[in-house]
Amino acid sequence: MMKAGPSQEDIRRHNLGTLLRFVHLRGPASRATLAETLGLNRSTIMALTSDLTAAGLVREELPRKPGRRAGRPSLVVRPESTRVYVLAFDVGVDRLVVARVGLGGVVLDRREASRARDAGPGELLSTLVTGARSLIRKAERDAVCVGAALGFPGTVRRTDHAVMFGPNLDIGETRLGDVLSRRLGLGVPVSVCNDANLGALAEHERGAGVGCDDLIYLHGDVGVGGGIIVGGRLLGGDDGFGGEIGHMVVNPGGLPCACGSRGCLEAEVGERTLLAHAGRAEEPGQTGRDAVRAVVDAADRGDIVAREALHRVGTWLGLGVANLVNIFNPGLIVFGGTLRDIYLGAAAQIRSVLATNALPASRERVRLRTTALADDTTLVGAAEFAFAEVLADPLQVLARLKSPEDSTV
Amino acid sequence: MSGTPVLDLRGIDKSFGSVKVLHDVAFSAYPGEVTALVGDNGAGKTTLVKCIGGIHPPDRGEYRFEGARVRVGSPRDAAALGIEVVHQDLALCENLDIVQNLFLGRERRRGLVLDETAMEEMAHRALSGLAVRTMGSVRQPISTLSGGQRQTVAIARAVLWDSRVVVLDEPAAALGVAQTQQVLEIVRRLADNGLAVVLISHNMNDVFAVSDRIAALYLGRMVAQVRTADVTHRQVVELITSGVAGEPGPRR
Repeated sequence: MMKAGPSQEDIRRHNLGTLLRFVHLRGPASRATLAETLGLNRSTIMALTSDLTAAGLVREELPRKPGRRAGRPSLVVRPESTRVYVLAFDVGVDRLVVARVGLGGVVLDRREASRARDAGPGELLSTLVTGARSLIRKAERDAVCVGAALGFPGTVRRTDHAVMFGPNLDIGETRLGDVLSRRLGLGVPVSVCNDANLGALAEHERGAGVGCDDLIYLHGDVGVGGGIIVGGRLLGGDDGFGGEIGHMVVNPGGLPCACGSRGCLEAEVGERTLLAHAGRAEEPGQTGRDAVRAVVDAADRGDIVAREALHRVGTWLGLGVANLVNIFNPGLIVFGGTLRDIYLGAAAQIRSVLATNALPASRERVRLRTTALADDTTLVGAAEFAFAEVLADPLQVLARLKSPEDSTV
Repeated sequence: MSGTPVLDLRGIDKSFGSVKVLHDVAFSAYPGEVTALVGDNGAGKTTLVKCIGGIHPPDRGEYRFEGARVRVGSPRDAAALGIEVVHQDLALCENLDIVQNLFLGRERRRGLVLDETAMEEMAHRALSGLAVRTMGSVRQPISTLSGGQRQTVAIARAVLWDSRVVVLDEPAAALGVAQTQQVLEIVRRLADNGLAVVLISHNMNDVFAVSDRIAALYLGRMVAQVRTADVTHRQVVELITSGVAGEPGPRR
């Protein structure tokens, strides 16, 4: 079905997606607002919403408060949050989270578990499956799962969602997405993505970066990950491995990195390095996040060893940021995970290094911010990724999921 | 640079008897930006803030608000313009609840009685706009709140009134790290929402973490107003301690 221009059907599909996407991201909106912001006339909006309502994706209600305009109030279009949902998985080195996220981005329900650093892939999978099953069981009977995605701290190939490299969380040859999808019997595939790439997506669509189309998200866990949004799109590169900011060499010949190189950003500012500089060993009962916070806390109280450690780490982080600013000229850089704490604890050093090493024109207007989504950045990103398909073609996808027997996937 | 300052002071002098505290001070604050006011003890930071807030009207100098000359002779004048100051001691009443504190002296009325529902709703909205985590009931007395929560209430009181300028005097003093971080994020969010924020702080990390501009006072004189992106920690410390920065800014 190749055509020269978009057919009427294409346009309708596009408009349906745009409308659904708008109420999904920006919340309930009146028909009048939708008509204004989407640039469509009111009768088109009415036709589109009635299609989406019939499919069970949105519902229309009278506004809760009397509006300011005179005349009959315009109906408010709300996403059907409890009946259309996705499953979002956040696989961290220390922490596993599964959530059922409704259309509109509402976290309806969630399960969290801590993970031992030496636990194997079998244990990981069974925790995720147990969590997801209990979430599905609690869902309303007529609710539809329209997608699922998992954030993983490693390099993931775009074409088949295979984890190519994840030194901080070894799962061997396990195909996480395939196994989860099969064991949960979801009827939808479970996409696997790099956690920081999902974080960038989340901050762009729902966090500190709403309205900014050129941003960089830096995520700290045991390692350091990154996601780069350029012109409103995630920079994936040829295979989807793009944005591995953690393996940018900032200190040639510096500390050895798990990737085999030396002086990578991850090796110079990662959790182990910070703890080593601060003279603290990894304690068995303590998660990495708490250990990093303890260093920032000690520095604030005047502990000179902790201060020196943050200063050193801040220097390398500042250099990394300076390189990113020079290359990508982002409008915004967002620090998430443990890098939020490190940024707030070492901002003077990070920004001083940035001021001396980045080009004035590029650094002048870059905003440095901490995540607006707290510890849920990856989770929110996974949910958004999972919603992408239904937002692109709402009616088709829903029809297929509601009657799987008629479709040949 | 970036538009016109909402608050613009020029040639401000202030003395207390024979003690001269501020001399020919210029200071601007821009909408959407955090301006950090730094200086050593006794440099005149708090006095300048009191001039801005109308507590100590300046002896001489121009006070401009949105480009127009105004006279700010009392805190009420400042509040009427949309300038709110959060003082170091927060000035909250421990025995009153959150809503009562937020509206103290400016209660909403409905006919002869107080409009409690409207005030509760406004309080709720102001607080949820600021804090990441909810504070629970808006009817709990201040005495039951932690230091960080109190700071949040004090800030909420300042932003409740369609304010244009919010001045925070050492908001993170006496707070733990986690709470300081939250307050910093709130400060940043206020500016990102379009307010002009003035932040007084001794902590260089806090200043660099959230500010867009740094204004340095040294012995009652404004020695520099610079963009944070153009200076280093060392230069700011030199401005504070000696009034001059050793080397010029890292311009190329």
